[in-house]
Amino acid sequence: MTEVRDPSQEEDQPVPPPEPAEPAGAAAAAEPAEGYQVKLEFFEGPLDLLLFLIKKKKVDIHDIPVAVITGEYLGYLRTRDRINLDREAEFLLMAALLIYIKSQFLLPREQPLEPDVDPRRELAERLEDYRRVKIVSARLRDLEEEQSQVWRRAALTAPLPEEDLDLVEVSLFDLAESFFAMMKRKQAEPPKVLKGKEISLAEKMDEIVAALKARGVLDFLDYLDAQETLEEALVAFFCLLELIKARLVIAVQEQLFHAIKVWLRKETKDEAP
Amino acid sequence: MSDLKPALEALIFISVEPLTMDKIREVLPERSEEEISAALEELASEFESGPRAIRLTQTGGGWVFSTKPDYDAPVRKLLQIERRKKLSPAALETLSVVAYHQPATAPEVMSIRGVDSTTALHTLLENKLVKISGRRDAPGRPLLYRTTEKFLAYFGLNSLDDLPQEEELRKILEAGNA
Repeated sequence: MTEVRDPSQEEDQPVPPPEPAEPAGAAAAAEPAEGYQVKLEFFEGPLDLLLFLIKKKKVDIHDIPVAVITGEYLGYLRTRDRINLDREAEFLLMAALLIYIKSQFLLPREQPLEPDVDPRRELAERLEDYRRVKIVSARLRDLEEEQSQVWRRAALTAPLPEEDLDLVEVSLFDLAESFFAMMKRKQAEPPKVLKGKEISLAEKMDEIVAALKARGVLDFLDYLDAQETLEEALVAFFCLLELIKARLVIAVQEQLFHAIKVWLRKETKDEAP
Repeated sequence: MSDLKPALEALIFISVEPLTMDKIREVLPERSEEEISAALEELASEFESGPRAIRLTQTGGGWVFSTKPDYDAPVRKLLQIERRKKLSPAALETLSVVAYHQPATAPEVMSIRGVDSTTALHTLLENKLVKISGRRDAPGRPLLYRTTEKFLAYFGLNSLDDLPQEEELRKILEAGNA
């Protein structure tokens, strides 16, 4: 691919620091004319790399010289002697797209392309959208930097306890997190002899609903903690998830890191016999 | 009455959460919204230009006092905080996509960024900068993500409208293309 590079297009512009640790051999041969090569890890993804190449070549995003850019792009992929599919599959996908677009220009066609159909258009639009993302994240980075030097009192004082607490409905993740934290604690406890009791989901669910009706509110962790065996605790946990999913009960957390409480939903309470 | 500004100053001083216009109106029902807004703007500019280490800003839908950046070092020393953690570029990009396309699904974020964004979304969820707001009525019922109030507060934004709007983005894009 290197033959397509026009040396007059090489230019001096501020670029990320040179990469002295460049592996010798095939990698270096792929980019002989460049004094530097930015590592693939430097880029957030294939679109980021493409934008970098487009900027480097000073070409218009809507009129990309596909052969040149594809060559440069593949040069980057060649620096890897093996591709980690987990991390770099997206880079390969983009390479395939670039080659496909290039082929659209090269292959003879039965009918010529319609004048207003440009095989590069979709890619140009994606690049444009991605540039917006880059602009906004740069702005957010600046704001973050600014805010990191600004302090508010809220950081010092915990909110005063109010009578009407602002309750937040917790997500499945919060529940699972609490559950696993408790399981870890339980693991540290000395083992107990298993009683081999059978617990059915339905029974447990009735038990929870009955307890909620009697007591009004349950502390999620205390309740699971009070279960006799690990198996029972697991069944109780699934029952709670099931009840939340069925929108029979609601799980809320008063404050971050505070206890998660479980209530019967009002409707459920009303229709209760 | 000329005592509106000091009254507002007292209310904001005593509030830990950003003080909203609704709250102010509750406390000062005899004042019109215009009157209060004008007084707040005046108060803010007095703090900003005066020889003070404190400024008054509108963040997360309300008014709040904060220190000026110049006093970061002593405050940090007092609080014994070394450095604040920063978001990764991947997390920032993902946040940008969610902020502009919300509610957005993980595949939508991925198609705009061109890379898998699951890990970034999880980090943001953990930090409560985004939240799950439901599921899309589409095959697979993918989860929908939205930015949170904490997102606004974290970046010192008053509302999502404070992010660059389409016109501004287009200008920056065109300037870059020239």
